[in-house]
Amino acid sequence: MYELTQVTRNYQKGRRTVSAVRDLSLTVDDGEWLAVQGRTGHGKSTLLHLLGGLDRPSSGSIDFDGRDLSGLKETQLTRVRCESFGYVFQTFNLVPTLSAAENVEAALVPMGIRGPERRRRVGAALESVGLADRMRHVPTELSGGQQQRVAIARAIVKEPKVLLADEPTGNLDEETRDDIVNLLEKLWLERGLTMILITHDSSVAKRAQRVGVMKNGNLSILRDSRRAERRRPEQRKAVAPEGEPEPAS
Amino acid sequence: MFFVTYLRRELRRRMRQSVFIMLGLALGVGLVVTVMAVSSGMQQAQGNVLQGLYGIGTDLTVTKSPPPFKADDNNGFRITMTPSGAEVCDNGKCSSGAQTIDNLNGLSYGPLPYSTIAEVAKLGKVQAVGGGLVLTDQQMVVPASVATGGALPTSTSFYVDGVDFTHSTLGPYTDGKVTSGRSFAAGDASANVAVVDSNYASAHSLKLGATVTVAKTPFTVIGQVTQPQGSQPPDVYIPLARAQALATSQGKKLTGEVNSIYVTAVSAADIPTVQAEIGRLLPSATVTSPSSLANEVTGSLANTARLTSSLGRWLAVLVLLTAFAVASLLTIAAVTRRVREFGTLKALGWRSRRVIAQVMGESAVIGIVGGLLGVGVGFAGSAVIKAVAPKLSATVVTATGQHLTSATPSGSTSYDPTITRTVPITMSAPVTLDAILLAVVLAVIGALLAGSIGSWRIAQLRPADALARVA
Repeated sequence: MYELTQVTRNYQKGRRTVSAVRDLSLTVDDGEWLAVQGRTGHGKSTLLHLLGGLDRPSSGSIDFDGRDLSGLKETQLTRVRCESFGYVFQTFNLVPTLSAAENVEAALVPMGIRGPERRRRVGAALESVGLADRMRHVPTELSGGQQQRVAIARAIVKEPKVLLADEPTGNLDEETRDDIVNLLEKLWLERGLTMILITHDSSVAKRAQRVGVMKNGNLSILRDSRRAERRRPEQRKAVAPEGEPEPAS
Repeated sequence: MFFVTYLRRELRRRMRQSVFIMLGLALGVGLVVTVMAVSSGMQQAQGNVLQGLYGIGTDLTVTKSPPPFKADDNNGFRITMTPSGAEVCDNGKCSSGAQTIDNLNGLSYGPLPYSTIAEVAKLGKVQAVGGGLVLTDQQMVVPASVATGGALPTSTSFYVDGVDFTHSTLGPYTDGKVTSGRSFAAGDASANVAVVDSNYASAHSLKLGATVTVAKTPFTVIGQVTQPQGSQPPDVYIPLARAQALATSQGKKLTGEVNSIYVTAVSAADIPTVQAEIGRLLPSATVTSPSSLANEVTGSLANTARLTSSLGRWLAVLVLLTAFAVASLLTIAAVTRRVREFGTLKALGWRSRRVIAQVMGESAVIGIVGGLLGVGVGFAGSAVIKAVAPKLSATVVTATGQHLTSATPSGSTSYDPTITRTVPITMSAPVTLDAILLAVVLAVIGALLAGSIGSWRIAQLRPADALARVA
């Protein structure tokens, strides 16, 4: 699915050039769940933005399903974002004036899907996250966990290939965090999504197939259990012990 | 429709700010509407004054300058008063001593042959032509002598219009409405009958059947006419043939002459063409168009018109620009606050164009509502002006064609008396359809301008930057 080759993303800070991602090469398989950990400022979010076509690398290439994202025109990149990627943000990023259903519908608007079909898919998405009875509620009328569920429904409603989640449980209490992670895992399993999840929380990262750590713009893989057979969420409690970091592959 | 739902919700969320922008735009365009209304009222008032002078439907007025008065020749009318006695010279014929003068003069304009009317009528794009005599009857009681430093005798005068009612429907008389008695009939062409202006009649207690003296000739009042409010009409109308017989221009009778020709073009667009053709036909004549006629009106009406077109216009432009600037700043502030929202939408696959359309849609709605409110403000401003505006006056000064000389120990002083007519004007400020349309268009342009500045920021916005700013 993804083939990143020597990707570097530099930023100018005054006269100084800062490399948020440095010479990073990585392969992500179709249907894989990759969790990326790391301290603040070490390039996790930048990597997610590059993977999601929200940003372009300063050098290197990002091959996604045979297309180099770094070489696409802005309109083509927008199209890829629209059709292939679903995003979940730490702060939910819901439009405050729109209801839960309308927020989910916003993801379908650029796809040119007609009204009745849009409404059907919105209903199904909200039902899959357990919010069928909260469709008309605006974000301020929902709890943090419910808002994140709406954001997840918004991410999956367009049936993307990849779900990109940036600290999806960062603003939630422990109980709600577990609910959300369970939900994400369930969707990953059911829909065959490729899921890339940024998190500070090791207990969340442990649930992924592969866990990497970003440090100074480089990604090191801590654990890789991709060969293990996919199991139901309740069966995925046994976690392989963390070993020595190895370079991303 | 998602676009409308999103737009409505956003406007509702930012209700206070939206209303503030709307009111700002409304104030700006409302002031423009008010200034346009006052300006329109001024033009209407000027038009009324000039219609009284030249009649309804007149596009062009053809006149001829009188020959310049020369103090040392024997032509014209001259009064000389010295301590040793008064001398009145009329066309070289002089008489001394106390006397009463009553002259009907047409010296403001030079004479034109009556046949000129037919020549002008033959020109292309001319719809109608009429002619008449614009005259002043001046009466003065000249004493036997004036002591050194003593006051010169003053003259009384009134406007007389020689009306060609048998051939034309143009000229000042056509603007009036007969309110008492009757109008001229075909049989009156050579009769000593007069129709008087109702204001003049009431000021001089002239009833039907009364006598008004013109050039020492008694005329019977057969009717009264009322001219539109704010106009500056002649005082007495007499048949053209009688005016030609009694009036003089620099000592010469005006038999077979007119001194004003009124022309109507086929359309407003033809006025310049007709004006040029008449200029070629009558090189020595002055062809006056509506725009140059307006310059003849002075007084507080003209001052207010100037004030409206200068101070009022700039004030309106200033307020409008301020409203635009405030709307732009508030829109930029709103867009800046919504960076996270727009970044998220872009991450969801919204193209910049779609996000911009959303912002522009919100701005357009604000502009339309602001424009409609502005129309309301304009109507209110117009009503306030009508209620509180002071009475204005229009002044038209015309030369009498006379030349007075007074001998003093240090030499002689002379002056050319003029007649100043002042007409009261009730100020109006009608809001026109053009002003309403302009108000809405201006407000929408202002709002879209503000929206486009915000949109430019959105277009520049990279989703990663927007989302990073949130984090």
